Amino acid sequence: MKQLPERYYQLMEEIQAVDFVLVELTLYLDTHQTDQQAMQQFNQFAQYSKQIKQQFEAEFGPLLQYGNSYTDANWSWGTSPWPWQV
Amino acid sequence: MANQPKQVFTNMKTYQPYHSPFDPCRPIGVKFYSTPPNLYVGFQPPNLPQFSPKEALQKGTLWPIFYDYYENPYEAKRREDK
Repeated sequence: MKQLPERYYQLMEEIQAVDFVLVELTLYLDTHQTDQQAMQQFNQFAQYSKQIKQQFEAEFGPLLQYGNSYTDANWSWGTSPWPWQV
Repeated sequence: MANQPKQVFTNMKTYQPYHSPFDPCRPIGVKFYSTPPNLYVGFQPPNLPQFSPKEALQKGTLWPIFYDYYENPYEAKRREDK
């Protein structure tokens, strides 16, 4: 296994942090269904999450399989490091 | 209850279990239990201050009022006893 660049971990942490905010806001909105400000924040984070995942996939390969991420030209989903290898 | 000294509020509650004179084990002393902050909030008010995403991930909650740091009170006691 070759050493992964620092940026891989930075992006991964950012994705995890943003997705955690989305989890928290989902639970909050389940009981506060009229909170427009929270919904706005939710949409903002959802958009940002999509954006950084796209960026991550462009640099380090697909995050999801079965059509949920686009593939590159080398069909390389099996050669990128597995979660337990990073 | 009324003439007890006013205590500082803390999430960490204590009680002293009864120790029978026939109990072969030595008394366990004070028992601690931690109560989570959401018990004292009621229905969550909107627009609470939030952690930054990375801090929230680390602390396990998006809202500082729900962050419940646990310090093992028995450890502190053990340190005192030594």
